[in-house]
Amino acid sequence: MLELQDVTRRYGDVVALDGVSFAVQHGEMRGLVGRNGAGKTTAMRIVLGLAEPDAGQVRLNGSAVDDAARRRIGYMPEERGLYPKMRVLDQLDFFGQLSGLTAADAKAAAKHWVERLGVADRAEDRLDELSLGNQQRVQLAAALVHGPDLLVLDEPFSGLDPVGVDVLSAVLREEAARGAAVVFSSHQLELVEQLCDGVTILDKGKVVADGGIKELRMRHGGRRLRIRVQGAAHDWAQGLAGVSAVHPDDGEVVLELADDADTQQVLDAARSAGRVEAFMPMSPSLAELFREVVES
Amino acid sequence: MTDPPVATSSGLTSRQAVFLVIRRELRERTRQRSFAISTGVTLLIVLAIAILPGLLGDDGPREYDVGVVGASGPPLAEALQRVDLGRDIKVSTRVLQERSEAERLVEDGDLDVAIDGDTVIVREELEGDLEALVQLANRDVRTQQALAAAGVSGEQAVAITDPPPLRTDALDPPNQAQDDRRGLVTFGVFFVFGQIFGYGFAVASSVVEEKSSRVVELLLAKIRPSQLLTGKIVGVGALGFAQLVLYFGVGLVAAVASGSTDMPPGLGGALALVLGWFLLGFALYSALFAMAGAVASRVEELQNTSSPITFLIMAGYIGTVAAAGDPGGAVARVTSFFPFWAPLVMPIRMAAGEAPAVEVGVVTALVVASIVVVVRLAARIYAGGALRTRGRIKLKEAFADAARP
Repeated sequence: MLELQDVTRRYGDVVALDGVSFAVQHGEMRGLVGRNGAGKTTAMRIVLGLAEPDAGQVRLNGSAVDDAARRRIGYMPEERGLYPKMRVLDQLDFFGQLSGLTAADAKAAAKHWVERLGVADRAEDRLDELSLGNQQRVQLAAALVHGPDLLVLDEPFSGLDPVGVDVLSAVLREEAARGAAVVFSSHQLELVEQLCDGVTILDKGKVVADGGIKELRMRHGGRRLRIRVQGAAHDWAQGLAGVSAVHPDDGEVVLELADDADTQQVLDAARSAGRVEAFMPMSPSLAELFREVVES
Repeated sequence: MTDPPVATSSGLTSRQAVFLVIRRELRERTRQRSFAISTGVTLLIVLAIAILPGLLGDDGPREYDVGVVGASGPPLAEALQRVDLGRDIKVSTRVLQERSEAERLVEDGDLDVAIDGDTVIVREELEGDLEALVQLANRDVRTQQALAAAGVSGEQAVAITDPPPLRTDALDPPNQAQDDRRGLVTFGVFFVFGQIFGYGFAVASSVVEEKSSRVVELLLAKIRPSQLLTGKIVGVGALGFAQLVLYFGVGLVAAVASGSTDMPPGLGGALALVLGWFLLGFALYSALFAMAGAVASRVEELQNTSSPITFLIMAGYIGTVAAAGDPGGAVARVTSFFPFWAPLVMPIRMAAGEAPAVEVGVVTALVVASIVVVVRLAARIYAGGALRTRGRIKLKEAFADAARP
């Protein structure tokens, strides 16, 4: 399990991370989301030891991350990079051994991953002879080659075509099912919502939301209600105490509630307007949730 | 599909990490076609340098055709054969009847000179060796005739005209073996200079390429900067060293086989010393070049960041040229004490027998101490600069930023 505890990092006057804490369990897939410059990459680089925190701790399975543990992390940096002139298989073999595989295992693992990621026919080619999409697959293979129990991937989906997205999604699900802790950053919130169990939302170096995606949506739900009242006038909810906006929607209304709104009063008003057929607190999508916590 | 292997505990020692980096450098570099081409071209140059003196050096004795006219001809012809200038000269003589015939033959170039009585006939002018030859022969004949007229003959006459030559007593005789050794070592040092410069720069560009391709971030997530740098320097250096051994071996075999040089005694030891100095020099310069790479982020910037190092080694080259000309001189002596130049100048002084053991010891200690300082500094600068892939980095910042040296 990966834990960040009160991690702070400054670059000059800029606070890149300000007391950031979150955890990723084995078998869990977690999305790290936030606007550009929110601190996602810095957090990942601190996990990999590529930057030092000014304060706070990173723990892996309960202990500080030493060289051996760090080597076992599967990492895909934000700026992709492998040796352009090196052959694909040699490259994976090299990184497999650097990550602690024996020579024989590294060779076998390299073969396995070029097949699994569909670049086996290019295995003997130099990396710079491959298309960008295929280079990205090799980059992913370099992160996975040693069977890591923690995967840290910075924007792994950016630049992938829809087929590549499907392949990567499937592989990440397999890795989590194998028991790996997976954390990746992405701007594609629908993807994060589909794939991840949990999400950590960063804004200006601070964690503004953190937890299971379902729980977060529930918690931030209830601020909106979808109500169907038979026989009521279309503007029955207009002017109710605690209702800040009314959106009519195909015979129903969606109400946005003020923070101090009492949903029971709204229900009473609906019942007096007509026959209440539906009264549903709406949970926001991750994208809506994101806008709410980041922009507020 | 079976499950892929999983790294259990990461049992990678520091030495194994360095070894993996070394192996990658060696494999990828020797695989490049440019490596095979440059090695081949250099070998051709080595062969040319080794073989040419053998082909050009020994072109046999110089030959002169001399004509002698008239009755005084035969004794003069005999004297021309007898005179020994101490040089490798062969004279053919021809006795002619008429001066006009002699003039025609000289004009046509069939004869170099012709002697008619007290006149020498030449086409343009009488050149040095031939003039000495002709004048001596003439003097010899005239002396013989004068002695005969005075009634001196036989052994007495010979004792006058042909006294035993002076014996040479050299106070500081040239040592042919040492001179040959020095010459060959000087050649060797020029190759060392080329290898240090070429492979030192290769370390710098390899550092920059890893930065510009961004692979360095993935590498440093796995191993420490010091391990990556050590592997790189040792790997690149080993290749430069192996090439140097190849050039020396091929050059020497070719030189001896073609007769360009005899194998002077002690040459093996002298060349081994040159190789040893290469290792020290490469350690020093590759660390400097690694720093130049660490503070650049693109290959174009490397030209600027490495130019002080280029000047440094070029200055050393000038010291080398001075030492080759005068290994006992002040310039050679002073430059050999400067650690960055010692690896080039010292082997020449040593081969020339101009470096006392104490000086060798002191200079070696200075160089080793410099290596320790420069390598540590380079490791720190590299650790601070390797992950900064944008823009020029100030040395001071890189030094301060070294989080995990």
